[in-house]
Amino acid sequence: MSHTEDLLKRLPNDIGGLPADDIEQTDHVLLPWEKRCHALADVLDFHKIINTEEKRRGVEALGAEMVGKLTYYERWIACFAVILFQKQILTPDDLARKIAEVEARYKDTTP
Amino acid sequence: MQTHDHEHDHDHEHGHQHGPNPHYQDPKNADTPPPGYYEIMEIAVRELLVEKKLITPGEIRRQIEVLDSRTPALGAKVVARAWVDPDFRSRLLANGRTACEKDFGISFYDDTELIVLENTDKVHNLIVCTLCSCYPRPVLGLPPDWYKAKPYRARAVKEPRKVLEEFGTHIPDDVEIRVSDSTAMVRYLVLPQRPAGTENLTEEQLAALVTRDAMIGVIKVENRSNP
Amino acid sequence: MATTPATIVTALGEEPIFAVGDRVRISVRYPVGHYRVPIYMRGKQGIVEKILKPAAINNEEEGFGRNAGSKRHYYRVAVPLAELWAGYAGSPQDRLLIEIFETWLERI
Repeated sequence: MSHTEDLLKRLPNDIGGLPADDIEQTDHVLLPWEKRCHALADVLDFHKIINTEEKRRGVEALGAEMVGKLTYYERWIACFAVILFQKQILTPDDLARKIAEVEARYKDTTP
Repeated sequence: MQTHDHEHDHDHEHGHQHGPNPHYQDPKNADTPPPGYYEIMEIAVRELLVEKKLITPGEIRRQIEVLDSRTPALGAKVVARAWVDPDFRSRLLANGRTACEKDFGISFYDDTELIVLENTDKVHNLIVCTLCSCYPRPVLGLPPDWYKAKPYRARAVKEPRKVLEEFGTHIPDDVEIRVSDSTAMVRYLVLPQRPAGTENLTEEQLAALVTRDAMIGVIKVENRSNP
Repeated sequence: MATTPATIVTALGEEPIFAVGDRVRISVRYPVGHYRVPIYMRGKQGIVEKILKPAAINNEEEGFGRNAGSKRHYYRVAVPLAELWAGYAGSPQDRLLIEIFETWLERI
């Protein structure tokens, strides 16, 4: 008898009315990469490469653990990668190689 | 070999110096911390999309400027105008988007609509997005962290009065609380009540009283001006 | 000779089904993968406060990349908080308002 159907029926972001803690009135100035990530989302939506609703669905699809543990913009960039693969715009190998190239760029220059 | 992560196109407003760029991390700049995993992913995704000519660096830079230009000061101007100009107020309440476009040149993306929610002696409005973080970005800029986090989203629709008390706001029981949960293309802006004792303030002085949190609906506007 | 003006016939789904003031019930069904009707609203009854115009794309389908297709109306529906939550401690006048796509609403 499976009780896991609730994991499917209730998306990890659907939290209206669930028990929750006191509100911590925190805010932070966006890091430059976060702002670039937000700009990327807007540009992708403008071009209808990834529309805003697809982004929401993509974040939901990360699943409860990642939704809970990744920060707001970390969730966005992670979901953009997967959606771009699904749309066959990029391949996982494309991104893995480019990530390695970018990492090497910074490794070369870190003292 | 260092790869520049911006094209040498003509809308590069910083000229061609290769020093610290506010928008892009300069690997040679020892003051900036090394990028973490997700920042590297963002750089990689962006560069790949540029290489494939699906986006341009100029579009990203421009959109950052768009984001930077949207702050609560815009919303505050709209509120102050509504307080002093009854015609604008009624147009704003009839169609928030067209009133903001026409009178303030505030542009909106996609088919976004803006519904302005008027607080009165009988009704107090509060906005939330339980499913994600929908927020009236064109007039308020980006939402604060607490608006996007679980406690506010879970509790604003279930116990709004307790939530308001946590912000120091008490709403009497004879005043109706209306919580608007955004799920589609409409965005909401609360039009707070004008505080007493502000009759002699200019529109600019009034705008200075209006805070982001008052336009979300978690606090009221206070008359903080010197008498 | 007088001519009768042509009568416009609108296509199915082009006109809003519901009017302001109509009592509606939010359907009970459980989509997986993506939805925009929170679970706390399923099966609840409310009143149509506003018809959002023009008709628009179903955002639940848009989440899977469907940028076009038959458009219907969204409605801003009001539900008393006391009906949403057992033991609601606020005022009986307190209400929640939320946008719901036409295909999720039933007339009662």
